[in-house]
Amino acid sequence: MFRPIASIAATTVGEAIRRKVLLIILLIGVLFLVVAPGLGMLSARSETTVLRGMMLGIIQLTSAVIAIVLTVYMIPNEIERRTIYTILSKPVQRWQFLVGKYFGAVSALLMMMTLMTSVLVFTFWLQQRDASAIPDLIKAPVMYFVQMSLLAAVAIFFSTFVSPLVNFFLSGGLYLLGSLFAPFFQTLQESQGTPPAAKVFAQLINTILPNFANYNIQNPIINPGQQIQNEGSYYLQVTVYGVLYIAGLLVAGTIVFDRREV
Amino acid sequence: MRPLAAAIETKQLTKTYKSRIHGKINVVDSLDLHVEEGEIFGFLGPNGAGKTTTIKMLLSIIYPDAGEGYVLGKEIGDMSVHRLISYVPERPYYYEHMTGLELLKFYASLFGINDQALFVRLLEKVNLHRDMSKTISQYSKGMQQRVGLAQALLNDPKLMFLDEPTGGLDPIAHREIRDLILSFREEGRTVFISSHELSEVELICDRVAIINKGVIARQGKLTDLLRGGRVEVTFEGVTEQWLKDKGMRDSHVRTIAGGVLLDTTEEEDINALIDAARSNSGRIVSIVPRRKRLEDLFIQTVTDAPAAAAKKTITVEESTSV
Repeated sequence: MFRPIASIAATTVGEAIRRKVLLIILLIGVLFLVVAPGLGMLSARSETTVLRGMMLGIIQLTSAVIAIVLTVYMIPNEIERRTIYTILSKPVQRWQFLVGKYFGAVSALLMMMTLMTSVLVFTFWLQQRDASAIPDLIKAPVMYFVQMSLLAAVAIFFSTFVSPLVNFFLSGGLYLLGSLFAPFFQTLQESQGTPPAAKVFAQLINTILPNFANYNIQNPIINPGQQIQNEGSYYLQVTVYGVLYIAGLLVAGTIVFDRREV
Repeated sequence: MRPLAAAIETKQLTKTYKSRIHGKINVVDSLDLHVEEGEIFGFLGPNGAGKTTTIKMLLSIIYPDAGEGYVLGKEIGDMSVHRLISYVPERPYYYEHMTGLELLKFYASLFGINDQALFVRLLEKVNLHRDMSKTISQYSKGMQQRVGLAQALLNDPKLMFLDEPTGGLDPIAHREIRDLILSFREEGRTVFISSHELSEVELICDRVAIINKGVIARQGKLTDLLRGGRVEVTFEGVTEQWLKDKGMRDSHVRTIAGGVLLDTTEEEDINALIDAARSNSGRIVSIVPRRKRLEDLFIQTVTDAPAAAAKKTITVEESTSV
């Protein structure tokens, strides 16, 4: 049951790491990480704070663009090039194909994010010569990886029924919405003064909308004054949330894809 | 599960698409198909006739709207049959970064097969063993088609679906693919070929079906379908009028340089006529049988559209959705 998934995932990685557009985005991200210390020196604020914020921001933005570009074309390309027909004529179920493509995308994403994180660590160490801050710094890319895996699942889900262009804006829009507005709806839901109807609405949005903001843990890392309470438990909780949400999206994607005429 | 009477059997298999302009269109309409085990079956039709749609339904890539179909005795949609069949799509595209050997490894892994000796043997069979380390992007069209056939043999299939296997290939590649397909029959496999390369089909297929506008217009043994050709007999020493007076049906007589030419059907009693001509001091210069060609049959079938179109159902709806 898992062998076809692993084979499809491995092939997807092979294709992804050869896609020029992804390599160019990755190269731009890496270049920005390398020149970031120079830009940080221009800032009036604490150099370390700005440098950490800037570098983590670069990794997050580059990873988000890679995650979307990588996944929105994944299923439509297979259909357009008719590679899917040869695969589905073998004893491969559609869910296996979809899950294989997803794990392939996530694996490629992991490789690219690992490269960027390595550059981040190396550049930061060269600039600051302070190895003690590095473990804390790595926490953010780890959480970003969970965030990007969730984003890839969103894009894979949409790719089962919308065109790549529509998917690009849908997934990108949902990512922005889930990153920027999820905390707002959470506050609205928890606030004492919120009318009951607005609370229900906020709760509904909070349930449906993937909460990408959970993984934006850069503030405590950038500002040592801030701290996440019960840090380990928080990371575990948001990771479980992400995994469950991803599983839900893959199940929904399979249901749609199963009946789709390819 | 049905008793294994045929490799493929469909009954009233129908696929309908909705179009904003034309409403509901039956792309495949009440298709009754019967493919025997161990034969090479040609599925012919012009572009857009419904050939690829039919194959996709048989492979469970798309779903029929009505009717039933059985592949190797199992109802279409039964995934267990996918272990026994294989498919080479029209103008196949394979992952270009892979080598020929890696490609076979990938497709074999979908069956849980990991047999290096098998991969090499199959690449030898399709004459690609010297190019197994080249990437697919370095392969010519013919080589890509041959590696496609190699991947289609990985699971030792009982039934192979080949969609336009020789489309766009040069004559040498044509011959190589044709020889490979013939070897599949010798190995006891059933081969279902969708094509409009009629000369190719005529050379290798045992039976054919011609589909036009979603409807099967003709189906049967090639020898039966092409029966009833014509014969040209050139006489010397007899006159045009003498031959015309013999009153042969569906015949044409004309004087040519060096004799009189009679063009008649195979059904006529040529021997009696020849005997009569000889006893009348006539001489036979040549007898040339002109077998009916598949191309003639195909064109006649396809241009005989009204009969097929009458069977086709097009329902136009006022409001449609895609």
